[in-house]
Order: sequence, then C-alpha cells, then structure tokens
Amino acid sequence: MKARTSSSSLATRGSFHCAWLVFCAAALALAATLPAEAQEAARDPAYRAFPLIGSRLAVWAVAQLHLNFAAFILGVPIFALIIEIIGWRTGEPRYDWLSHEFVKLTFAAFSTTALLGAALLFLFVGYYPRFWTYMTSIFFPTYWVYALLFFAETFTVYLWYYGWDWLAGPRKWIHVGLGVLSNLFGTAILFVANSWVTFMISPGGVDESGALKGSVWGAINNFTWMPINIHRLIANIVFGGTIAAAYAAFRFLAAKTDEERARYDWMGYIGNFVALAAFIVLPFAGYWLGREIYAFNQTMGITMMGGFMSWLWIIQAILIGILFLGSNYYLWLGMERIPGSERYRKYVPPMLIVLTLGFMVWATPRSLVLTLDEARAMGGTHHPLLGVLGVMSAKNTVVNLMILTTFLSFVLYRRANRVSTRGWVGTGMAVQWAAFGVAAAIVVFYGVYGYFVESIVRIGFSVYQVLAVLAAIVLVMAIDIPMFRGARSTGRIRWGTIAPRSQYVLILLAVTFTWLMGLMGFARSGIRQHWHVYGILRDTSPEAVTPALGYAANVITVVTIVFFALVMFIFWLGGLGEKGRTATHGHAPAPMLAGGSDADA
Amino acid sequence: MRVPVGVKVGAFSLLVMGGYAYFANSIPQIESKPPQELSLEGGSVTPAQLVRAGEEIFKTKGTCEICHRIGQKGTRAPDLAGIGGRAGKARAGTSATQYLVESLLQPGALLVEGYPNIMPAVDKPPIALNRSELWALTAFLQSLGGTVDVVLADIPATAGAAGPGGAAAAAVKVPGDPAAGAAVFAGKGTCIACHKAGKLGASPVGPDLSQIARIQTPEYIMKKILDPAALGTVAGYPKGVMPPTLGQSLTAREYTDLVAFLLTLK
Ligand code: HEC
Ligand code: HEC
Ligand code: HEM
Repeated sequence: MKARTSSSSLATRGSFHCAWLVFCAAALALAATLPAEAQEAARDPAYRAFPLIGSRLAVWAVAQLHLNFAAFILGVPIFALIIEIIGWRTGEPRYDWLSHEFVKLTFAAFSTTALLGAALLFLFVGYYPRFWTYMTSIFFPTYWVYALLFFAETFTVYLWYYGWDWLAGPRKWIHVGLGVLSNLFGTAILFVANSWVTFMISPGGVDESGALKGSVWGAINNFTWMPINIHRLIANIVFGGTIAAAYAAFRFLAAKTDEERARYDWMGYIGNFVALAAFIVLPFAGYWLGREIYAFNQTMGITMMGGFMSWLWIIQAILIGILFLGSNYYLWLGMERIPGSERYRKYVPPMLIVLTLGFMVWATPRSLVLTLDEARAMGGTHHPLLGVLGVMSAKNTVVNLMILTTFLSFVLYRRANRVSTRGWVGTGMAVQWAAFGVAAAIVVFYGVYGYFVESIVRIGFSVYQVLAVLAAIVLVMAIDIPMFRGARSTGRIRWGTIAPRSQYVLILLAVTFTWLMGLMGFARSGIRQHWHVYGILRDTSPEAVTPALGYAANVITVVTIVFFALVMFIFWLGGLGEKGRTATHGHAPAPMLAGGSDADA
Repeated sequence: MRVPVGVKVGAFSLLVMGGYAYFANSIPQIESKPPQELSLEGGSVTPAQLVRAGEEIFKTKGTCEICHRIGQKGTRAPDLAGIGGRAGKARAGTSATQYLVESLLQPGALLVEGYPNIMPAVDKPPIALNRSELWALTAFLQSLGGTVDVVLADIPATAGAAGPGGAAAAAVKVPGDPAAGAAVFAGKGTCIACHKAGKLGASPVGPDLSQIARIQTPEYIMKKILDPAALGTVAGYPKGVMPPTLGQSLTAREYTDLVAFLLTLK
C-alpha cells in the first residue's frame, strides 16, 4: 500500500510542492508590503507596460488560463464526490475507482492552478498598481480569507487523495466527509474570488468617490455576485465533466485492449452524463444573471445584449446549439452499443428536427448594431421575421424545448436494453408521454402568449416554463426508476464497442465548452468597456479600447490551445507515474467491464 | 504507418477552434473605443465645429445611440429627429436650450410622454460628459431642426463636476416609515380611490403604481404628489384628474411615510 501511494505521480507531487511554496511566498510578500504600497500609491505610476505583448494581453491570457484550471479543480471534485458516494452506497468498486481517477486528475492540475494564480497576482501588482491598490483598499480582509481557504482546500484534498486506501472500509464515511469538506472549501474560494470580479462589473457598498461606505460585505454582496456564483458553480461542473469525458475519450482512442476500451468508454459516459445534467440548468442561471445586470444598470444591460456585444450572443448561441446537438448525438451513438435499442431509433429524426429548429431560433439575432445600409437592407433594426423570432419569448421557448428533447434522449438511452416487467407499464408510459406533452404545451403556450403581454409580465412567464420542464423531468424520473427496477434485460451494454467517432464528439464538447468559457469571460470583462471598476475607476491606459470579437476570438483560441497543451502535458506526467507501477492500474484494481455490465448512471 | 491518436485529436481540436475563430472574424468587427475628453473652454470654436464635435460625442462617448435613433422611432426612446425645433415648444416659458440641457442633466424630471425613465443623467458616470462635451452635444441636438445658439454659459457650472472618478448617484434615502405610508395611501391620502399598489386597491382611474419605484426616480415620485401637473400627464391617462392639493392636505410626516411606501413598490 504505502509503496504504491508514494510512487503515485512523483513528478506531479514535486511540482505541486514547488508551486505551493511559490504561492505562499508571493502571498506573504504581498501581504507584508501592502500597507506601504497603499501609501505610495500616489507616487506610483498607474500602469506599467508588459514587455512585447502588452499588459492587457498578459493579464487576459493568465487570467483565462487560471480560470480554466480553477474551474476544473473545483468542478471535478464535486462529481467525484457524488460518484464516490454512489460507489460507497452501492458497494460497486468501479465507482470508487472512477472517483479516485477523477480526483487524481484534479490533483495533477492543482499545482498549475496555484502557479497561475500567483502569476496573475504578480501581473496585477506589477502592471496595474493603481487598480490593485484600489481593489485592496476595498477587499483586503477577503485576501486573508482567500489565502486561508486555499490552504484549507489544499490540505483536505491532499488528505482526501492520499487517504483513499487508509480510510477505506468501515472508515469510508470519514473519507466521504473529507470529500464534502474539500468541496465546501472549494465553493467558498469561488465565492470569494467572484466578489472581486463582480464588484468590478457592478460595484456596490461604496460611495461616489469609490470609498467603502459600510463594511466590506456591501461590496461583496453586489448585484451580480450571487447570480455569478451560481452560474459559475454549475458551469464549472459541466466543464469538469466535459474535460473528464475528453480525457476518457483520449484514453479510449489510444487503448490497446478491449478491457481498457470498455473502462474508458464507461468513464466517458459518466463524465458526459454529469456534464449534461448540470448543463440543462445553465440557461436558467444565465437568464437570472442577465436580469441582474439589467437591474444594476440599464445601459450596461443594453450594451451587453444589443450594443457592441450583440454578435457575441449569436456566437454563444451557436456554441450552445453545438453542445446540445453534440450531447444528444453522443447518446444516440451510445444506444447502438446497447442491444434492444433498435426499438427507439425511430425517435431520432424528430428529435434532431426539434433540436435543429431550436438551434436556429436561439441563434436568431435580436437587435444588432448594424451600419445604416445593413439596417435598411434588413428593414430596420428589427427585421420582420428576425423581430418575431429574435425576442426573449421565442428564445425561452426553444431552449426549454431543447432541454426536454435532450432529456427524452437520455430517458430512451436509459431504457434501451430494458423491458419493464411491471404490470402497470402501459399506464406508466402513458403518464410519462403525457408529462412530456403537457410540459411542451405549457412551454409553447406561454411562449406564444408572451408576445401579447408587457415585458414585465413576460419575464414572469419564463418561470412557469421552467417549472413545467422541471416538473416533467421529476415526474418522468419518479415513474421511470420504479418502472425499470428489476427489468428484463435485452442484453448487456457492450461497453467499449461504441463507434470511435463518438469519442470525437466528447472531445468536441470539451473544446467547445472551454472556448465558450473563454468567450463568456470576455463578455464579462468587455461589458465594463473602458472601466476597471464600472463607473468608479476608469481605464486610462493606452489599452482601454475593448477589442472587437475577431481579435477576442483569436486570443481565446490561442489561450485555449495553450490550456489543452498544458492539460495534456499534466495528464501525461500523471500517466508516467502510472506506467512505473506495472502491477496495478491506478488505485483499486481497475474494474473489468469488457463483456458487459448493464450499468446505467 | 498509423497516425498517433494525440496528433489526430490535436488536429481535430485545432480545426474546431479554428472554425469558431474564423466565424468570429467573419462578422462585423465593432470595437468599443474609450471616450476622448474634449475641452473647449477658453478656446474659440465655430458653431459648425461644435456641431461636429457634438455628433461625435452622440455616437461614441455619449452612447446615445444605444437608445435613440435619429429619423427612426425607437422602442426605447424618442426619435430625436427635429428635436432642435421641437425643444423650444415643448414647454411654455422654456427655451430650446434650457429644455435640451435639462433633458440631458435631469432626464427623469422631464419625461417625454409614453417613455419610461431609463435615461441616465449624462454628466454622471458611467457616461460622465464634461461641460464642454455637454455644450457640443446640445449644439448638435439644436442642429437637428433648430438654430444653434447654445453658449458655454448655458451649461451649469456644476454639470459634470463629479468627473470620471465619481459614481452613480447615491440611492435616495427617505426617512419615512413604509408601513405607516401604506395606511396613508389607503386612508387619508385617498390615493387608493384611483390607484392600485401591489395588494392595495384596484382602481383603474390612475396608473397602476405596483412597480412605480422600479420605473421612476424618487424625485419624480415626490414631485408628482406635490404638483402632479408640473410633470406632465402619464400617457393614456386624463389630464388634471390627479388632485393638485395633496401636498397641502398631508402633514410632512404623512408625506415622507407615503413616499417611503411608494419607494418600496418595485
Ligand atoms: C438608456 C437609454 C437612453 C440613453 C442611453 C439616452 N437616452 Fe435620451 N431618452 C431616453 C428616454 C427613454 C427618453 C424619454 C423619457 C425622458 O424624457 O426621459 C429620452 C429623452 C431624451 C430627450 C428629450 C426628447 C424629447 O423629445 O423631448 C433628449 C434630448 C435626449 N433623450 C437626448 C439624449 C442624448 C443626447 C443622449 C446621449 C448622451 C441620450 N439621450 C441617451 C433614453 C435614453
Ligand atoms: C382622483 C384620482 C387620483 C387620486 C386620488 C390620486 N391620483 Fe395619482 N394619478 C391619477 C391619474 C389620473 C394619474 C395619471 C395622469 C397624470 O399623470 O396626471 C396619476 C398619476 C400618478 C403618478 C404617476 C404615475 C406614473 O406612472 O408616472 C403617481 C406617482 C401618483 N399618481 C401617485 C399618487 C398618490 C401617492 C396619491 C395619493 C396621495 C394619488 N396619486 C392620488 C389619479 C389620482
Ligand atoms: C445554455 C445557456 C448558457 C451556457 C451553456 C452558459 C455557459 C457559460 C459558461 C461556461 C461561463 C463561464 C463560467 C466560468 O467562468 O466558470 C459563463 C459565464 C457567463 N455567462 Fe453564461 N451560459 C449560458 C447562458 C447565459 C445567458 C442567457 C447569459 C446572459 C444573458 C449568460 C451570461 C454570462 C456572463 C455575463 C458570464 C460571465 C460571468 C463569468 O465570467 O463568470 N449566460 N456562461
């Protein structure tokens, strides 16, 4: 036991220690010099120029990379924990193995996250001194909290990872407790960091000159803080899931044996399942965030949705459409490895049509900034057709329908190889279909009705639509689970026999989601335009121009490439450690999946 | 020879991201330029130069085009075509210059009928125009169908004083007690005879006030009670129905309580 544990990715551990030291040193040095720094602020330059690429690009790249890694190490443990609990409760070792595998991935990325965080801090202090001094004047107390939380998080994840075998068996509950604790710390870290970011968008708790009015809580609890906390928390889970699935896809494609293929096919499936489940609620969280931005400042809301950023939302919509289509396609391909699924193949074309149409409506522009000529050619900024499809009502409606369709794909997938033996199966299915039908009808009804009422009433309608969809999901699952318990099997899932192109779909999802995250980060920063802190601290640097989307997309692409290169490198390092141990595969002996198991999530 | 998986996956990912980047580069490229400070104080400028500078501000730093169009009715804000001519006749006793300057500095006080109070005071952050810029902007607005006669002295010296360091106007705090205000609303104030406010009342005579604090500024609400006619009439409602005597019949305490109550309606 001991020997194996210590040999586990030595390289990773080494780099982790190194990074941790660097981080602590930087944080301490900074903490010590801060008050002095504040006094000297008057004499300090407001900006320094980063060599070659300029300060903005440097901060942009490092911030995006840091966020990517941070999202990964916060998102993955959440579902690693869920999987561990499933394994613990069901006693199935393969879940425990998978959970450990996921935490291993997290662990490998920990040091890089810390290093990038330290680099970001260094860039702020060095190249944006006035900005940093101002932020410090407001948020200094939270820096300590952040540092302590980071320490606590590292420590518990450490214990969680290395205590896996030690805390097995009757002590498993302690181990699960550690998992819970590290997730609580992780989420708290996210919330603290979000308070800084959201303060920059929608400052609160400060007076006209930007000085703190009451306690720092007023600045933390600003308009967009909670919505971004929730939106990011969910997005991080999706992100973690897609990356884990892409990792599995890579291992699948590189696998030499059927056994390996089966194992990684299953891992990819679980990763994608978790991603999909979280992805479904993301649009709701997004709308809430959008609404709060409007509530904070109309002009900002309008700039965001209709101003110079309006095209951004079209790109976002296209990416989201690809995510929906991709995850459904993956499920459909997955059904082919399940004997008995032929029964459901006829549903695929109609679902594809719903998704495609939904995609098109979602991507319909609302009101774009156009040149006068373009506007005339289109018939005003509100094109007659675009005007009808491009509004909130239509978009809400289709996104709800797309979610229902995706859920239907999942339900069909679930029952692909099972035939219920319950006597009430006819009634059960009828109720399920009715639930789908009623939910869809409610969604469409309020979608259409929304055209005839005031916008303030219309916003209320989206709540009914969401509730209808969620109620249908709950009802269908509440029937499905008992209905298929102890069902007759039409054959076992042939894990590992899925078409290799499905694995490219998983990679497509991961790449798309990562790129989307970069894009939304740009949206979040871009809506501040020429302000570091909106309305309070102006960006007076030569780089105050908010770039156009093309430039932003190029930066996002390059940074995303660097991110994936780093991830591959880190996973490769982790793999080296694994190769050293010829006898065992990873943690608990890897489960045998080849030849079947009728597992479902 | 087989292509290694890493290469295939890498090429595939590059292709995907390249596609996204290509698309993002193929759409209209719009930058958001930071506003330039304009200073005209002390210098001599011709009206034509002034108008040109004002037009520039209208399109860029002023961000007016987010809401307004010239020569096209917007859904958010009035069409500004012909505003230079209209401004002089908008209110008796107010010159075009005064009307325009007030529209810019206190947009909430002079609502155009049928539009909500969403226009920000343009000398305050985030737009934060300085005096010179307000001058040029007013000249530009006058050039739309009127005569350009604004001089720097027409712009109050206090305008834009907050400068780019200031913040949005602080929330108005009214010292009243909302619960007592609700009682005034339903009782002595007689508002309930004509207005609905959340759960209180149902009368359709006057506008529904259930969200009044969301769509109106505190100053507007306070003034509207004291002198309803001075603020014009809400579109779609009869003139002169809202009693002008409410200011006299209520005590100061009742008035502040009432306002405090109305400010909770969002
Ligand atoms: C957030 C949207 C918004 C922005 C930005 C905005 N306005 Fe307005 N504006 C309105 C609305 C709504 C009205 C009508 C209600 C009122 O009078 O306040 C209005 C009214 C006006 C009027 C009076 C029109 C009339 O017919 O009497 C003028 C003049 C005006 N705006 C000029 C400007 C200028 C100049 C800018 C840029 C510096 C600007 N506005 C920015 C929304 C906006
Ligand atoms: C006799 C009927 C009547 C009574 C009593 C009355 N109002 Fe009104 N009120 C109206 C009408 C009609 C309008 C719309 C026409 C206008 O703007 O003058 C109005 C408009 C308003 C508005 C502006 C609404 C908007 O959307 O801009 C406010 C605020 C308001 N009333 C508050 C009050 C309060 C507070 C009271 C009690 C102290 C009160 N009113 C009593 C008839 C009345
Ligand atoms: C299916 C719908 C949506 C998906 C998949 C999605 C996805 C994402 C992702 C991945 C992020 C980055 C999170 C992170 O930094 O960790 C993000 C952030 C953001 N989203 Fe969404 N989003 C959706 C809907 C919306 C909507 C409807 C809006 C607003 C109208 C919105 C506004 C934002 C903003 C402003 C950010 C930046 C906040 C930040 O950087 O954390 N999103 N979104």
